[in-house]
Amino acid sequence: MKKLFAFGLVGLAAACGGDEAGGPVSFSDPFCDDVIPRVQTWVAEQREANPVPDDPRYGGTAVLGSIGEIAQGLNVASSSDYSSVQHQMFVGLMTLIDYDEDIQPRPYLAESWEVSEDGTELTFRLRDDVYWHDGERTDAEDVAFTYRMVTNPETAFPNAAFWDYYVRGPEGVEVLDEFTVRVHLQPHSEFLNAWSTVAILPEHLLGDVAPTEIAQHPYGTVCPVGNGPFVFASHAPQDRWVFEANPGFPEGLGGRPFLDRYIYRVIPEPTTLLTELLTENIDVYLAPSPDQAARILDAEHLELHSFLFRNYVMVAWNGRRPQLADARVRRALTMGTNRQEIVEAILQGYGSVAHTSVPPFHWAFDPDIDGLQHDPEGAAALLEQAGWVDRDGDGVRENAVGDRLSISVKYNQGNQIRQDIAEIMQAQLAGIGVEIQPQVVEWGTLLQQINTPDLRDFDGVVMGWVTEFRLDDTDLFHSGRIDEPYAWAGTENPELDRLLDRLAVETDRDVAAPLWEEYQEALIEEQPYTFFYFSERLDAWNRRVHDVVMDQRGEWVNVREWYIDPGSR
Amino acid sequence: MTRYVLRRLLGAVPLVLGIATIIFFVVNLAPGDPTVYMMTPGMSSEVVEQLRVNYGLDQPVHVRYVKWVAAMLTGDFGYSFSYSRPVLDVLLDFLPNTLILSACALALAFLVGIVLGTIQAVKQYSGLDSTLSVVLLFFYSMPSFWLALMLILMFSLMARNVWGWPIYFPASGITSTDYDFLSSGAQIVDRGRHLFLPAMSLALVLAAGIARYMRGSMLEVIRQDFVRTARAKGLPERSVVFKHALRNALIPVITLVGLYIPVLFSGTVFIELIFAWPGMGRAIVEAITQRDYPLVMAASFFFAIMVVLANLLADVLYAVVDPRIRYE
Amino acid sequence: MAAGAESLSPATGVDASAGPRRRVVGGRGLSAALPGAPQLLAGRWGSGGAALLVWIGFLWVLVTRWDGVRDGWGGAWDERLAVASLILGVAAAWAWSWRDAVRPFHSRSVAVSQWDLAVRAFSRNRTAVAGLIVVGALYAVALITPVVAPFDPNLQGDLLTERYVGPSLMHPLGTDQFARDVLSRLMYGARISLSIGFVAVAISVTIGTLLGAVAGYLGGVVDTLVMRFVDMVISFPRLVLLITIIALFEPSIFLITAVLGLTLWPSTARIVRGEVLSLREREFVQAAVALGYSKPRIIFKHLIPNALAPVIVAATLGIGNTIVLEAGLSFLGLGVQPPTPSWGTMVDAGRQNLLDAWWLSTFPGLAIVFTVLSFNLVGDGLRDALDPRLRS
Repeated sequence: MKKLFAFGLVGLAAACGGDEAGGPVSFSDPFCDDVIPRVQTWVAEQREANPVPDDPRYGGTAVLGSIGEIAQGLNVASSSDYSSVQHQMFVGLMTLIDYDEDIQPRPYLAESWEVSEDGTELTFRLRDDVYWHDGERTDAEDVAFTYRMVTNPETAFPNAAFWDYYVRGPEGVEVLDEFTVRVHLQPHSEFLNAWSTVAILPEHLLGDVAPTEIAQHPYGTVCPVGNGPFVFASHAPQDRWVFEANPGFPEGLGGRPFLDRYIYRVIPEPTTLLTELLTENIDVYLAPSPDQAARILDAEHLELHSFLFRNYVMVAWNGRRPQLADARVRRALTMGTNRQEIVEAILQGYGSVAHTSVPPFHWAFDPDIDGLQHDPEGAAALLEQAGWVDRDGDGVRENAVGDRLSISVKYNQGNQIRQDIAEIMQAQLAGIGVEIQPQVVEWGTLLQQINTPDLRDFDGVVMGWVTEFRLDDTDLFHSGRIDEPYAWAGTENPELDRLLDRLAVETDRDVAAPLWEEYQEALIEEQPYTFFYFSERLDAWNRRVHDVVMDQRGEWVNVREWYIDPGSR
Repeated sequence: MTRYVLRRLLGAVPLVLGIATIIFFVVNLAPGDPTVYMMTPGMSSEVVEQLRVNYGLDQPVHVRYVKWVAAMLTGDFGYSFSYSRPVLDVLLDFLPNTLILSACALALAFLVGIVLGTIQAVKQYSGLDSTLSVVLLFFYSMPSFWLALMLILMFSLMARNVWGWPIYFPASGITSTDYDFLSSGAQIVDRGRHLFLPAMSLALVLAAGIARYMRGSMLEVIRQDFVRTARAKGLPERSVVFKHALRNALIPVITLVGLYIPVLFSGTVFIELIFAWPGMGRAIVEAITQRDYPLVMAASFFFAIMVVLANLLADVLYAVVDPRIRYE
Repeated sequence: MAAGAESLSPATGVDASAGPRRRVVGGRGLSAALPGAPQLLAGRWGSGGAALLVWIGFLWVLVTRWDGVRDGWGGAWDERLAVASLILGVAAAWAWSWRDAVRPFHSRSVAVSQWDLAVRAFSRNRTAVAGLIVVGALYAVALITPVVAPFDPNLQGDLLTERYVGPSLMHPLGTDQFARDVLSRLMYGARISLSIGFVAVAISVTIGTLLGAVAGYLGGVVDTLVMRFVDMVISFPRLVLLITIIALFEPSIFLITAVLGLTLWPSTARIVRGEVLSLREREFVQAAVALGYSKPRIIFKHLIPNALAPVIVAATLGIGNTIVLEAGLSFLGLGVQPPTPSWGTMVDAGRQNLLDAWWLSTFPGLAIVFTVLSFNLVGDGLRDALDPRLRS
C-alpha cells in the first residue's frame, strides 16, 4: 500500500515533466478533415515552385500578444469584432479594395473597378492570379457568393448597415465573366467602403452552407482556408493562432511575406503581457494601456507607437428622461466636465478631446470647430436658465416641482477607463450642483438595458464607438430610427434628420464637406452625447521587427512587409 | 469494494442531474442573451430576432431545458456560440491543460506540504515549527491572483531583466512559440519551464493545509508504540522518523487528494487567466462573459462531475489505506 | 508570556487578591481613573496592559481628532457610530477594569468549565493571541475610521499633479489614479472587507447550523433531502458558482455578501449534522427527550449549544477565506464595485499599474494577507483550544 502511494506521487510528478508533446489536434470534423490535407499539399507545391528569394529580410517568426481572441476567426459572415475583421482584411483573406495612407481606395483583390454614370452599377475586375490556399482560383463566383451571403437577412450579418443602399440578395449581383462581377446599388456616399472591410469567402467550400448555419461553421476558427498573404496553420483556442507565409501570394502584390510565421497569442492579463514584451517572449503588444506607456518607453529594445484612432468615448444621455430632455442641461453637463483634464490624466495625453463623432483625421472634420469648452460658471448659468436651482441648499439642484437633478451614469464592468470617466464626472459635476451616480452593470445586461427599445433603462451610459471610414450617424441620431436598438439618446431634431439624410447619399466629397460642418455645429448644439475624446491607440513592439506600419486603417495593414532583424532570429 | 464504488456512482447520477438543472436555470434566467454581443449599429430588430432563431433562443425556457437534458443524455452538449464548434470539442481542447496543471500543482503541494509538515512535527513547539506554519499560512492567506503576479514579477521579469539569472520562467502559455522545432528533450524542459510558475502559485496556497495535516498525523504516529520500540532499540532518530514514522503518517494524508481537487479547480480560474493558460477555468469565465450558454452549462457540469469523482476517490482511498474502514 | 499570567493557578489568584481584599478594594479608588491599573498592580500584565492601551488609544483619538468627533456626531450614521464606539470603547475599558478588580479573581477559577479550559489553552498559544490582537485592532479601526481617516476616501485630488504620488508624509501610502489617499481608502476598505466576511459567515453559520441540526436530529426524509442538497452545492467548485451567479446578475455589495454566505453554509451544515448525530445518543439529550421537551427546545437548548465548538472554528477560518474570495472576485471584475473601496477592488485596480505604482496594490494586498493570516491563526488556535485531545 505504501508503495502504491509512493508510486502515485512519482507518477504525478512524472506526468508533469514527461507528458508527450501535444501535436496539432486532430479534428473529427469532416469539413476540416477534407480541407486540411489539400491546403498542406498546395502549400508544399507552391514552396517548390516559388523558392524563397535571396534576401536577408525573408524568414523568422513574429509573435503578437493581445488580451482577446480573434473571436470569429476568418468567418466574414459573422464578424464584427476588430481583431477578426483585421485578420480577414490583411492576414488570411483579401478584400476587393484597400485604403492607402490617405484613406483613398486602391486595388487589392480587384485590379480595377468602375461605376456607371448614374451610380447604380459597380463593376469589379478581379486579379486572375489569386488562389485559395487549397489550390482553387479566386474568381467572380466567390464575390457573388459572398455578396449573397452577407446581404441575406438569414445570415444576420452584423454590419448589415453596409448594404443599406445596395440591392440585397441574388438580384443585386451578376457574374459577367470569370473575373468580372457587377453589383447594383443606389448612389450614396463612400459606397466603396464596405468592399474594403468585407473580405471574400470561398464559394467552392462554403457554397452549400445554409445562411443560418454559417456562423457556426468550422470554417471560421477551426480550419479556415483563405487566399491572403498568410496561410492558416493552427489555432489553439484561448492560446494562439499560427499563420505561415503564403508562398503563392501574387508577385504583383509583393509576393510571399517576409515573415515565415506570424503568431497571434492570447494573454488576458495586461501585466503578464507587458512582462512578456519586456522579456522578449512576444514581439508586438497590441494596445497597451496608457499607464504602461512609461515602462515601455524606458526599455531600449522597445518601440512605442501611437496613432489617432477611429474610436471615440462618450456618455450617451437618454433624452427620454425628464431631467435630460432639455438640450441646455446636456450642454451644461458637457461644460461642467473638464475633458482636457481627463485626456491628460487618464490617457496620459494619448488622445484628443472630441466634440462630435467626426474623427480629427477624417476629411469631413471641421478643424475650426470650437465645441463646448470647460466652463463651470457657464454650465451653472445654463442650468439656471433651464429651471434647475438648488432650492433646499443640499448642494443638488431641483426643478420647480422639486425633482433633484440626479443622474445615474452606467458603465460596463471591467472597463477601467469608462469607470474612471464616470467617477471623474461624478466628482466634477458635484461642483455645479449635479448629482451623478456611477453604476456598474455587467456588459451583456447593460447592452440589453440600453438597446431594448421599450426598456432603455438608463439616464447616461459611458460607451464607445468605432467609426467606419464611411461616416454615418443615422442609426444614432435620426428620428426615423428612434425605435431601433442604437437610438440611445432618443434624438428628435429635424435639422439633424435633414443633414443625415443628405449626407448619406451625397457622393461628392466637395459638396458634402460644408454639410458635414453644419452637421457638427448642429450636433454640438443638440449634445445627445457628451463626447469625451478620440483616443490614440498605442502599440508597442520589439525593435527587432522592422517596417511596421500601424495607423487608422489598423495594426495589420502591412503585416506582409514586416521583417525580423536577421541578426536576432 | 467494487459494489460500494458502483453504488456510489449510481447515487451520483441524481446528484449530477440536480446540479445540471440548477446550472441551466441560473444561466438561462439571467438577464441578457448572447445576441446582444453580436449587435452592431444598423442591425435591425429583425436581424436580432433572426439570430435568436439561428441559435434556438426563441423557444421558451422549459422547452430548451427538456431538449438540453435529452441531448445531454445522448452525449450531445450542443454548440458553443463563441467558438462556433460543438461544446464537447471545445472542452476537450481545454480539459487536458487544466488536468496537467492541476496534477502538477497537487504533486508540488504534497511534496512541499509533506516535507515541511514532517519537519514541523519533528521540531514540535520549536521556533522553526511556528515560523514554518506562519510562513505557510502567509501564502495561504494571499489572494492567489496577487501571488501569481508577484511570482511573475520576480521569477520572470526581474529574474531576466534586472537580476540576470541564468534561468527564468516564462510568464504565459503552455509552450514556447518555437516548441514544434525543439528536440524532444528540449520540449520537456520547455513545458516544465512554462508549468513552474502557475503550478507553484496553486501549490503554495494548498501546501499550508497539507503541512498542517501532515504535522498532526506525524505527531500522532510518533507517540505510538512501534515508534517507541524503534527508538528503544537504539535506532538513530533519522531512521526512526523516515523509515518508520513517515510511512505510517503519510496514509491519512493521501485522502486529502480528493478534498483538494475542488479547491484546485477554483484556483485554476485565476491562475489560468494570469498565466494565459488555456484551460477550463478560463474557458468558463470567458463563456460566462460571452453568454455562451451551452459552454457555461457543459463546463460547470464537467467540473461538478470531476468533483464528484474526486470525492469518491477520497472515500475509496480512505478505505484502501485504513483497514479499519470497510464499505459494504 | 504576558497573556498567560491571567491563568494563574487558583492559589496564586487567591493570594494576590483575596487575602488582603480590603487593600485591592481600597486600591480601586486609587486606580479608578486609570483602567488596567488594578490588573497591572496584581501582576496581570496582559489584560491590564490591553485595557490601558485601548483606553489611552481611544482617548488619544478623541482628543487629537476632536473636530472630527464633534462634526461626526451630527453627521451620517457611520460617523455617529464611529463617535459612539470611541466613547463606548473608553468607557468599556474603564468599566471592565473596574468590575474585574472588584470581582474576586478566584471566584471564576473554582468551577472550571470547558470554556475556561479552552480560554486558557488559547491564551497559551502565542501566535493565536497575536492574531486575536490584530483582528481586534482591525475591527476597532474599522469602527472608528470616519473619525481617524485623514481624507475622504472618494475625494479626488488634482488629477494633473497628484495622481500616482508615492508614499509621502502627506499621503503615507501614496495616492491612486484619481489622486485619492490610499491610506484613507485602505481604512474604509477595512470596513467593507471585514463586514463582507463577517456578514457572509454569519449568514452561512445561521443557515448551516439550523439545517444541520434539524437534519441530524430529525433524520429520515428531512435528513436525506437536506444532505443531498448539501452534496449538490459542495460538488460545485464554489468559485465557479459565484462567478456564474454574480456575473449574470448585477454585482452589488449585497448580492456578493449574500451569495458568498449562501454558498458557504453546506459545509457548516455537514459539521453540525455530524456533531448532532453523536450528541443525539448522549444521556442528557435522551433525558430531555424522556422529559417530553419539544423538538425545537431540544434542538435549540441542548443540541446546538453543544455542537458549536467546531462551528466557531470553521466560522473564524471562513471569515478569512471570504475576504480572500472577495478579492478574487474583484480580480474578475465581480467584486464590490467602485468607487466603494474594498481591499479586493483596491488590489485589483492597482494591478493595472503594478510596475510603476507598486504601492497601489501592495498595501491593500498586505492588508488582506495579514488580516486573513490573523483569522487563520485565531482559527487554528481555537481549534487546538477547543479540542480536548490536543490540549497539552
